[in-house]
Amino acid sequence: MIGPRDVVVGMVRRLQALRRAAVAEVEDINRLIYHVLRGGVVLALAFVVLAFLLHASGEGPLPRSSVPPRDLFGSLLPPSPAGLMNLGVLILLLTPVGRVALSLVAYAEERDLRYVAITAIVLANLTLALALGLA
Amino acid sequence: MALLETLLILLVASALAGLAGSFLGIGGGIFLIPFMTLVLEVDLRTSIAVSLVGVIATSSGAASVYVRDHLTNLRLGMFLEIATTTGAIAGALVAVLVDPRFLYVTFAAVVLFAAVYMLRTPETARDRAYRAGTESPVAHRLALGSLYFDHEDEGVYRYRVDRPLAGFAVSAVAGGFAGLLGLGGGFVKVPAMNLLMRVPMKPAIATSNFMVGVTAAASGLIYYSRGWLDPTLAAVVIIGAFTGSNLGTKLMMRAKAERIRFAFAVLLAALGLLMALRAFGVEVLA
Repeated sequence: MIGPRDVVVGMVRRLQALRRAAVAEVEDINRLIYHVLRGGVVLALAFVVLAFLLHASGEGPLPRSSVPPRDLFGSLLPPSPAGLMNLGVLILLLTPVGRVALSLVAYAEERDLRYVAITAIVLANLTLALALGLA
Repeated sequence: MALLETLLILLVASALAGLAGSFLGIGGGIFLIPFMTLVLEVDLRTSIAVSLVGVIATSSGAASVYVRDHLTNLRLGMFLEIATTTGAIAGALVAVLVDPRFLYVTFAAVVLFAAVYMLRTPETARDRAYRAGTESPVAHRLALGSLYFDHEDEGVYRYRVDRPLAGFAVSAVAGGFAGLLGLGGGFVKVPAMNLLMRVPMKPAIATSNFMVGVTAAASGLIYYSRGWLDPTLAAVVIIGAFTGSNLGTKLMMRAKAERIRFAFAVLLAALGLLMALRAFGVEVLA
């Protein structure tokens, strides 16, 4: 059985692993992307499991519609199942975008200009899709 | 249906979708969307939104493992992502102008052709290995060729990428179609890479899995910020899909490429028949 303690311990371990990956000098781009993708999913997982546990202990109802990002902060103070669950889902949705953004930085550091350009186009497309969708 | 019952069924279904999705290099939306609408009686918009979350969980979970083990071709993935994201935007913009029947017929034909072609051409160790002759200038300049370790025969294979521009074009069309249907489009990217660009099956699957998350994230964020996403269903799908993808990646890396290709061809054939039926007005699924 996974308790809240295990969730917190797991999150801390994941964050430490991410920090070590960022600090290490000889990390290649594969390792970096592994940590971003894995870290994003595990963090999202930790928040939604925590939300289910809070709900089970009678701290509030389960949410049935998403909270827009700008209202999310308010629903997190104090932590409620609804706020934590929305945060977890949003983190998961942002993980692939974060992966593209970090690849851009990594290619720039490698001075691989062709791939800096390619990654920038992908990132611009993602932004455009979001802008079109939100309009 | 009671909420708890729905959540438990969805947990099992998303675990299976995550397993199949990570094994075949697709997001798993083609399994999850019909299942949610037909079995769980969730409305289509919510099903698409929740399925997009499942696609990202599967993609991120599986892609992280494939990237760590150097199975994913990062450069090829990023190159083709230009095509898929541009195609998705174009698809969303011209959606109203295109006759859906024309789309279904074209798509059914392409998918059925890919299924037959995949069954008829074997992939032996020799096929996987680097071929002689001059590389395409685009593939050479973008350094698209790569190498990977295959658990099947404990071999390291260096491969190159053929016909990069044709693959780019097909990916753009796949992105457009995927944008119209709210899917990741992995079932077009894998055959495009494996059959057209002659990337061995395992790197093709790993690279496709890597790519579908980005397409799904763009649509998923739109659904989320419009308040159309049910976080409770999505939370269950995250747990299920991630668990399933952890198993799927292990199976895929150990499986014989021939078996994976057979499973993929069966999926394509089923999909092609569904599309053909839909083109003639028979709604079988959703």
